[in-house]
Amino acid sequence: MTRVIVMDLSRHNTVMVGHDRYFILQADGRRLLVRDYCPHRGGPLSLARRTPDGRRLSCPWHGTKVGVAAVQRTCLPMVLSGDEAVVLLPEGEDAPVSVIRKEVLANLPPDAPCADGTGGPNTRTTGAATGDAATTGTPCP
Amino acid sequence: MTITTGPITTGTTPAGMAATGMVTTGAAPAADVSAALAAYCEQRIFQPTPDVYITGNPFQRPIGPPGAGARDFSVPATEAEFLGSGQLIAGRVLCNAYESDMILLPPAGLATAKADFDLFYGDEVRRLRDVVRPGLERYAFSFLDDAVPAPQVRTLEELQEYFLTEVGAAGAPADASSGNPAVDAGAPMAGTMRLIAECGHPEEAAGLHLIQLALDALTEASAMARNLGGSYGVEQSELFKIFNDEFGYGVYGAKHSTIFKEMLASVGLRTDLHAYWNFYLPSSLVGVNYFNWLTEDHRGMFRYMAAVTYLEWLFAQGFADTGVMLRAVYGDRVDAKYCDEHAHIDVHHGRMTYENLLLGLARAHGEIVIPELVRGIEDTKLLLRLGDEDFRAQIAWADALDTYTEAGARLASAAGDDAAARTLRPGDPFSTGVRDTDTLVEVTGGEVEVHAWATEHPHRLGKGDVLLVPKSRLHGLKAASGEARVTVRTIERTSNDD
Repeated sequence: MTRVIVMDLSRHNTVMVGHDRYFILQADGRRLLVRDYCPHRGGPLSLARRTPDGRRLSCPWHGTKVGVAAVQRTCLPMVLSGDEAVVLLPEGEDAPVSVIRKEVLANLPPDAPCADGTGGPNTRTTGAATGDAATTGTPCP
Repeated sequence: MTITTGPITTGTTPAGMAATGMVTTGAAPAADVSAALAAYCEQRIFQPTPDVYITGNPFQRPIGPPGAGARDFSVPATEAEFLGSGQLIAGRVLCNAYESDMILLPPAGLATAKADFDLFYGDEVRRLRDVVRPGLERYAFSFLDDAVPAPQVRTLEELQEYFLTEVGAAGAPADASSGNPAVDAGAPMAGTMRLIAECGHPEEAAGLHLIQLALDALTEASAMARNLGGSYGVEQSELFKIFNDEFGYGVYGAKHSTIFKEMLASVGLRTDLHAYWNFYLPSSLVGVNYFNWLTEDHRGMFRYMAAVTYLEWLFAQGFADTGVMLRAVYGDRVDAKYCDEHAHIDVHHGRMTYENLLLGLARAHGEIVIPELVRGIEDTKLLLRLGDEDFRAQIAWADALDTYTEAGARLASAAGDDAAARTLRPGDPFSTGVRDTDTLVEVTGGEVEVHAWATEHPHRLGKGDVLLVPKSRLHGLKAASGEARVTVRTIERTSNDD
């Protein structure tokens, strides 16, 4: 049986469904509730920073770059009316659900400074790539 | 590149950095230290038992034969004494000391080991530990002050160039980006990995290699954990990310120590912590203890961060090589996921530690810390080299015990007249050790098993057999008959005697 939740995006930006976490990603003028999970090792993409071209997220754990389009495809069905969102949760799960507000860095512009004013994510590192992983970046703390 | 010292599976005092205090001095009067060491070694849990392999009880850690605690450790070991009996005993005591601030529990439950748990973590053992540890650290690690060069590396740019040159020289160059360690998963076996695969008893040799790794891998990243607390900027978060990988993101099945156990089990080795305590080589103990020392004493944090950077970088190719060797030796039955995991994740860890720990600390704290960072790399280079030499010598000897028995017979008439006779019985306490001279072990009655590596088929000596045991080769003797008598004599050899 499909479960539905209603959340207020002016107050909450994250949904926990059991151990799975989803966060509001803003891309192409849209807000989507996407899975907070890097395909490399499960790192929190909500804490990723955008690459300079804005098209990829650089995972804070290992620097793996994940296309924003690929992340968008992990979204849950959601109907928006203003800040009110009606979300269809994954079927077949009866895991506990909670909505919270947490820090999301993935929606910041690539060159936005961190809260501590130390600058963006790539201020300290040189590029280095292995497969899909590239610049480690030092994530904003 | 090869990894041999196992643990290092994971610090001269340069100008500018206050590392002169890394070895604590004058903590207690010498007489008190000697008495404390003797009392420590006499603890029940540190006494040998009849078992060759120790299972189900992580608190049983025999330090050595009777008299080990009476040894004088007041004069630091030299590099020439690196593989000596003193380093072995000191290494075992220090390993016990460092691990007594880790939580260790037997997998089958504490019921049968509760008294040993209470003793291992109890007031008296910890008090004795704290008295003896500074002197043993001075004994074990002071040689590094003389043996390790101090390259003239002072600036960030010089540090970058130095590091990349060093890892390149160690067989682990950077890839085209200069930021990642390059890995060639198809590289042909070379060095120690090849010696293991091509020796006469490859499974025993590979097993001994895994056992050296197990000294650290079964508590993997526990030393690192000591550097997670505090407040030291973005470097702290970078180390935590690496720790997070080591601990499998909180998933027990993904924890590196768990997949290491699976690798051990797949080739029929025991998975209990320190089951193979008797088979840790002196160099392996010194190597693991070095990282515990640097993390226990936070004056060593810069050395540690550099040492871990160097190792993480080398591990990427090193574990690719180890996986190739294990598959060559054991075939399809080996579960080498642990090696595959490290060959992958240590590409990331190599880059992360290099960029954000080594260079990060140099950027954050300036040139004053660079000599200590370099020292950590130089220490680790030396410990790896010495460990590799120790391991190679051990498998070369253990692989050729028949030959060394023939050599012993030839040399018997030339041995010294310092014979020490022992009577062995099957239920006697068993321990391994090394001798500081070449010796001849002669069986004068009964039969004796010689344990030179972990095997179900140890070398057997009968009455009249004489085994040549080169200096520093780890071995233990066990009666294979109701009673056996052996005499041990020193021998002076020339290089032609082998």
